[in-house]
Amino acid sequence: MSEIKTTTLAGLVVLLAHFATLKAGQPDEGLPEIASSDAVAVAAQVDQLLDASFSDQGVTPTEIARDEDFLRRVCLDLAGRIPSPQELAEFRSSTDEKKRAEVIDRLLDTKDYAKTWGSYWREVIYSRATEAKSRRSQGVFQDWMTDQLNENRPWDEITTDLLTATGDTQEVGSTGFLFAHNGDPAELAGETSRIFLGIQIQCANCHNHPYDQWKREDFHELAAFFPRIRVRRDQSGEKRTFIIESADNDRGGKRQFDPDRLFKFLDRDRDGNLTAEEAKRNKQFGKRFERLIEIADKNGDGAVSREEVKDLPKPPQAKGRGDTEYFMPDLDNPSEPGTKTVPVFFVDDASVPYGTKDLDRRTSLAAAMTSPDNPWFARAFVNRIWSEMLGEGFYMPIDDMGPERQAQLPEVLDTLAAGFVANDYDVKWLFRTIANTQAYQRSVQESDSEALPAFASMSPTRLRGDQIFNAVVQVLGGNADGPRREAARLKAKKKGKGLPVPGLDGKDARQAAFSQLFNYDPSTPQVDLVGSIPQALFMMNSPVTNNAIQAEGRGVLTRLLSLTDNDDRALSAVYIRVLTREPTDTEREICHEHIADVGERGEAFEDILWSLLNSSEFLTKR
Amino acid sequence: MHLTRHEQVGVSRHGFSRRSFLHAVSAGALAAGTLSFRDLLSLQAAELRKQGRSMILLWMAGGPSQFETFDPKPDHENGGQVEAIETSVPGIRIANGWEKTAQVMDDIALIRSMTNKEGNHQRATYQIHTGYTPSGSVKHPSFAASVAEQIGSEDLDLPAIVSVGNTEGAGFLGVQYEPFVVQDPGEMPRNVSSPVADARVQRRLKLFNRLEDQFAVRGGRSIVESQRELYEKTTDLVLSEQTKAFDISEEPDDLKAAYGDTEFGRGCLLARRLVETGVSFVEVRKQGWDTHTDLYERLGELTAEVDPAYATLMTDLKQRGLLDSTVVVWMGEFGRTPQITARGGRNHYPRAFNLALAGGGIKGGQVIGSTTDDGTAIQDRPVSVPDLLCSLCHALDVNPRHEHISPLGRPMKVVDGGEVVTELFA
Repeated sequence: MSEIKTTTLAGLVVLLAHFATLKAGQPDEGLPEIASSDAVAVAAQVDQLLDASFSDQGVTPTEIARDEDFLRRVCLDLAGRIPSPQELAEFRSSTDEKKRAEVIDRLLDTKDYAKTWGSYWREVIYSRATEAKSRRSQGVFQDWMTDQLNENRPWDEITTDLLTATGDTQEVGSTGFLFAHNGDPAELAGETSRIFLGIQIQCANCHNHPYDQWKREDFHELAAFFPRIRVRRDQSGEKRTFIIESADNDRGGKRQFDPDRLFKFLDRDRDGNLTAEEAKRNKQFGKRFERLIEIADKNGDGAVSREEVKDLPKPPQAKGRGDTEYFMPDLDNPSEPGTKTVPVFFVDDASVPYGTKDLDRRTSLAAAMTSPDNPWFARAFVNRIWSEMLGEGFYMPIDDMGPERQAQLPEVLDTLAAGFVANDYDVKWLFRTIANTQAYQRSVQESDSEALPAFASMSPTRLRGDQIFNAVVQVLGGNADGPRREAARLKAKKKGKGLPVPGLDGKDARQAAFSQLFNYDPSTPQVDLVGSIPQALFMMNSPVTNNAIQAEGRGVLTRLLSLTDNDDRALSAVYIRVLTREPTDTEREICHEHIADVGERGEAFEDILWSLLNSSEFLTKR
Repeated sequence: MHLTRHEQVGVSRHGFSRRSFLHAVSAGALAAGTLSFRDLLSLQAAELRKQGRSMILLWMAGGPSQFETFDPKPDHENGGQVEAIETSVPGIRIANGWEKTAQVMDDIALIRSMTNKEGNHQRATYQIHTGYTPSGSVKHPSFAASVAEQIGSEDLDLPAIVSVGNTEGAGFLGVQYEPFVVQDPGEMPRNVSSPVADARVQRRLKLFNRLEDQFAVRGGRSIVESQRELYEKTTDLVLSEQTKAFDISEEPDDLKAAYGDTEFGRGCLLARRLVETGVSFVEVRKQGWDTHTDLYERLGELTAEVDPAYATLMTDLKQRGLLDSTVVVWMGEFGRTPQITARGGRNHYPRAFNLALAGGGIKGGQVIGSTTDDGTAIQDRPVSVPDLLCSLCHALDVNPRHEHISPLGRPMKVVDGGEVVTELFA
């Protein structure tokens, strides 16, 4: 059971009172019992379930991947980089039966693990940011996220921090999520549900969800947890920044209409009646007078009395910012304030009353969301990480789950989710468990065979921007000057334009700018990912790649070619460096033909290195 | 080929994860799972595509003041220091600083009654560029992408959408309709020319393709195919003679001088060259219109750069016979407040602002709509953003009611609501 955190005693009372109203016994909502919560045991249970499913379907999954494929895969997944040739040699020569489990543990202990997943979460949140100025804080967010992952803080605690953050967006990284949507209740409701629960409830913003049980009220009741977040510009310090804070004081009604004031200014003859003549003295009011007569002049004398004005229905208060409660917009009358809405969490109907303070609202929501009784919280995270590692999720797209979606192998997802909950949302536990499954360690299916069902083979996936950056740096030379210089150039250029540039406040601004070229929204389904022309132009033609592949000079190729006159050995060295594997026989044949055709060894190898850097395999986790 | 609506719940192994989409292929191909969502989109696009017109969007980023551009109010205190100048069309007067534009007013239709609700730069820019307000759940395709999907040229080696300065992307319409962003107008785009001779590029590509085939067999087929499509498109660009369009050095010096040796001037000249080559949509951005302070000090610099470039673009297009097929739009994300602030500027004002349209059958020399004497409200003929986008669709021969299907299966029109401002085409 995760700890419930509230800011005040009153908040705790409110929270407990509403836990008592939790909906009981929803169908098909619970996670199964698991025999052991140990990573290796759960991994084995996952494989048993998968094997049973495969034998039911009469299919044979692919073989366990070769060492080089596994090592490249696991390095990319758990450390965001490719293995060095030396790392590969050591791994292949080891005869230790547990070497795969050991490399998994070793990688999870490196800072690289936290860095690559910190970068991943930055993209998840900022790819959908609706507030441009929030991007200047994404480096602060990424550093914070990296620290949390490095310390292996449980996922419920990270989530709670993100939902309950307050403070300076330039200093407190956990404010990043709220700032990304400028504290807007409706945007935060949609993104909170999508990212942390995998449920696309924002479709119910304007209409009842077309495919789900969610009603408009469900969405707006979720938004009602967020109306008191204020993003305040602060210029008091040396730099301009924005502060996330609570706005618990009712600021509504400050522009209320005052009939006495109106008569004081306009009722010149002091007869308590306003006539058209009098009204004309104020240009703006004069124009509206006719309309005022229409609705207010009950006795039909062509003038309005003080009493008639006072009887007018109260003008609606400005909705949105400044209100301490949330109003569900009236779709037929968008200018009306809408319906005052009490915060209710749609999964279990946990609720807090009107008047609840901002932090108590957000804390209550976080507690209800991260409760072990809410299976969607664990499922969403497991589905996301599994999909990132295996190339395919139980639910696809990964952030569109929910009770009316059909998962593939739901029993496998629920087993992992149960283990994740039993381990108190231990993030590294989940990575360790998934990486130790046979499902994760299978080879990619050859293209011309009959398509296997999900998880009977590894699905290749496209690398993310930070992974490509690291791989390019590793292949082209240890000092990484080339891409860094290019990144610095991009940065300077962007700065000159005075435009906000995503990622430039990251720890390594140059890497961030480079990654910007290759980054994508990690919630995008793999089938929808395609490269861009500037990416291809960069790999094909940029001075960074082309200078580094020169056979003469101080590039990587110069060294590799000087080590051996044997083309076969040189080919192996190039392939291992770029793709972490030996070339196949056919590939050797193709390359030898090319070397013979070109007739000049250095030039031919430049072409080969160029082709491998531009290859889809280089940009792919296989 | 007929379009049917296909409903699918659940997940299948090879690509389909959507509950609903339009498709124009046999059920067999679908059942075999051989077509991706994107294939379906491009099939649909091929059906839609008509040889077409082009659009140049001159985007005044920051929100230009209507009072100091095309809706001057010299007789009202809200008018500020502005003077109204005569134009080539009797009766139409615009703000001083736009003397060259005044001379081409015969071809320009002004809308003085634009009205909108978005007063935040990013939201309004996104809304006008996509037709939708931003939402975390979906990245809407830009209007440019929707236009290029319907009227983009098949034979073009260049990207269908080029933008001088960053702009909104293609959203779920994908790489084919992503804008190609140029940061230094007039110079060749970065990395567009190969550091090795064309023959060696071909030699490398031959080797590259043979090696790619190997990865395709070993399980990377769909990735290889998408990479190949991208490399074909990129190679077309790298090896194409059409990339010369990016290089303005061969233009006559007096024409370059008329556009102005400024970033915006070079951008406008580049826009004409690109449109001439067949690019469907070019955006040229001019930053700096967010004049909260020192409005009049800053205006001089802005108009000195924009006025000659805009006016020369108009005459240049016209002389080349391109104006009938090229819609030229001058606008920003909103207007500015009628009251001049204590700091000598104007704040954001989406309620009443103006813009200028030309080309593509739009009748020039007219003003549509008006604002009140003090400029605080629309007096006549309000025009909304959807009305504007519908009108642009009409001028471009694009169907505004064509429905994209978002990745979550939601149908989404190019323009939702709005009506064509028919007076533009009278």
